[in-house]
Amino acid sequence: MKGLHGIIFCYRQRAELRELVAERSSSSIPFASRYRAIDFALSNLINAGCSDVGVLLHGRYQSLLDHLGSGKDWDLSRKHGGLRLLPPFGYEGPGGMQPFRGKMEALANVRSYIDAIRQDYVALMDGDMVVNLPLQEILDQHIDSGADITVVCGNDSFATPDGSYFDVDADGKVTEVYYNLRHPRGYRGLEIYLLSTELLKRLTEEAAARDLVSFRRDVLRPQLGELNIRAFIWNGFAAQIHSVEEYYAHSMQLLTPEVRRELFPADRPVRAKPADKSSTYIGDEGRVLNSMIADGCHIEGTVEDSILFAGVNVGPGAVVRGCILFKEASVGANAQITDVIADKNTSIGEGVILRGAVKHPYVLPKGETI
Amino acid sequence: MKKECIAMLLAGGQGSRLYVLTREMAKPAVPFGGKYRIIDFPLSNCVNSGIDTVGVLTQYRPLELNDYIGSGQPWDLDATDGGVHILPPYMDTRGGTWYKGTANAIYQNIGFVDLYDPEYVVVLSGDHIYKMDYSLMLERHKAAGAACTISVMEVPWSEAPRFGIMSVDDKDNITEFAEKPKEPKSNLASMGIYVFTWKTLRKYLTEDEADPTSENDFGKNIIPKMLGDGLTMAAYRFQGYWKDVGTLDSLWDANMDMLSPGSGLDLEDESWTIYARSVNAPATFISGSADVRHSALSRGCEIDGCVENSVLSSNVTIGENARVSYSVLLPGTVVEPGAVIEYAIIGEGSRIGENAHVGAAPGDAGWGLTVLAPHCPVAAGRVVKAGIMLDQNGEEASK
Repeated sequence: MKGLHGIIFCYRQRAELRELVAERSSSSIPFASRYRAIDFALSNLINAGCSDVGVLLHGRYQSLLDHLGSGKDWDLSRKHGGLRLLPPFGYEGPGGMQPFRGKMEALANVRSYIDAIRQDYVALMDGDMVVNLPLQEILDQHIDSGADITVVCGNDSFATPDGSYFDVDADGKVTEVYYNLRHPRGYRGLEIYLLSTELLKRLTEEAAARDLVSFRRDVLRPQLGELNIRAFIWNGFAAQIHSVEEYYAHSMQLLTPEVRRELFPADRPVRAKPADKSSTYIGDEGRVLNSMIADGCHIEGTVEDSILFAGVNVGPGAVVRGCILFKEASVGANAQITDVIADKNTSIGEGVILRGAVKHPYVLPKGETI
Repeated sequence: MKKECIAMLLAGGQGSRLYVLTREMAKPAVPFGGKYRIIDFPLSNCVNSGIDTVGVLTQYRPLELNDYIGSGQPWDLDATDGGVHILPPYMDTRGGTWYKGTANAIYQNIGFVDLYDPEYVVVLSGDHIYKMDYSLMLERHKAAGAACTISVMEVPWSEAPRFGIMSVDDKDNITEFAEKPKEPKSNLASMGIYVFTWKTLRKYLTEDEADPTSENDFGKNIIPKMLGDGLTMAAYRFQGYWKDVGTLDSLWDANMDMLSPGSGLDLEDESWTIYARSVNAPATFISGSADVRHSALSRGCEIDGCVENSVLSSNVTIGENARVSYSVLLPGTVVEPGAVIEYAIIGEGSRIGENAHVGAAPGDAGWGLTVLAPHCPVAAGRVVKAGIMLDQNGEEASK
């Protein structure tokens, strides 16, 4: 069967996201007022006509299960195919249940699932990569170029923890693979790979047989000579969410019109789980400037340079600057908060003054009250 | 499977008093309050009242409404047993007819109701904005041992002549019904919400159909007939916000009511959520040059201008130095830089050109709301006066 199959890796626990991932995986981190990070991977796939998606889970995946449900919000609740959630199955590492050490180990854990893939091509993606790609176009290029593996790269070498980087020649061929670089060079990998199902099956067999765990270290790098590995360079916005500081910086980029256009083009909509909220209300004394606001907010105070999720309440006289307020966060009257990330269901009392810094935003963990 | 109570929602009327807004869609599909459509209110009330089976009777321009309701999933009405069903008129071996009246619409669907063999049927209109627990009304119906219970609310005496007015006895049972009486004997107005004991209603619908002189209408025929026959007709007193949005003025009023807590229309109350089909759009962005006050906004808007006392539906764009006040902008409206909109309802997908001026604040005699049809273009610099209505080509239409 022609077409694309999606596999989304959501097994990583990213320690640098600290409180933000205390009760969720990085793939279910809220982003851009009304999305979870994984909505972007899912939307990339369905916008390329992909109807079957497997999600590889490990660690704190409860919130991700709640979010994905049957997959109906992405039209992935299907009689045939659709969304398949793949939690770790009988996986015992040395010393008990341990996180997967790499993509190949995760894939080897679901070999029977991979054997049953109906489509000719597979896209491997990370659940915490926020990007809106023309995946159909990338698949077409993959097929036309005769590549064995297409690596999707950003057009910069932005430093990110645990990033992969690639040297690419003028012909689009990948000539070197780097990771663990202190001073990154080459093109930043977006952890999105396209390959044929046949090749994926072969690589997974080999990985299982020879205990290979990492895709980039044990597959891409050793096989640079044997496989035709090519790059697709993406010039638009692409955010890896690896740490609180990255999360904050990338969120603030959303306040730039070009970034919003790149992330939300009209022809490639991003689908999210609907929130049953009323329209947002801005009061007589409410003042909102340079901010992104979701549904169901009630704003009586001042909000500047901020990102508000659904159902946020900003009391009269309150001043919110440079903040990211998750769902149902509440800021009491006359409170002043600057450079704060307030998680879901947090409450900041009347008159409270809270100040983080752009480089080190103050994080108020889920459910806490000040 | 047998159900105690199901709902039948009358959504087939043309809504001719909404003029250009219902030229291409049925009234219940008209957007309301930023993220809703009118039909979200009765559908959500049903679900919140524990009614899981709803027949939606459609006839006039049903496509948009059908598409909106879809499987009923946004209201949790995509059930295998029950759920929401769209019921258009149909053919049988003897031919078929359009729905001749509200009673005839239910009559033609007796077969649908019988599928669930209910004890009670709630009959609803698709053009009211309100939050109401039908289960309380059903309790009242059962306690009164009534054949029919009609929801009523007190209206100011001066306004009573505009409504169907009920006179009641000391048990709040209805003794008299007068449609738009010149000299009202009571100030209890019918809200057009009925609970019937199905066995009784079934009999009356069948008899009514056999009467060639009947207009096959609940208010004109069925209710007076039942009352005349001495059946127990209970009144159920409703307190709270309720508005018939059958006219352009009342539709605008109800939207404005959403902005004032004093009106009683509280849609933020999470104990009685009004559900709506979700629009796929990013969150709204309000820029550094915008000034938004006392307004409600849905998602997908990009606002660079000034917005006050207004309700913005999804995907509305307001350009720099544009000003929108006391207006209702339906989905996808584009207001180009420098344009002004005052006291207006702007249809879906309309485009207001740069420095155009649509509508005006109340003043002169003959003042009225300005209304633009869906997809109405307004050329740059054009002035559209108060009280004017424009069609989808931007030409004046008469109210």
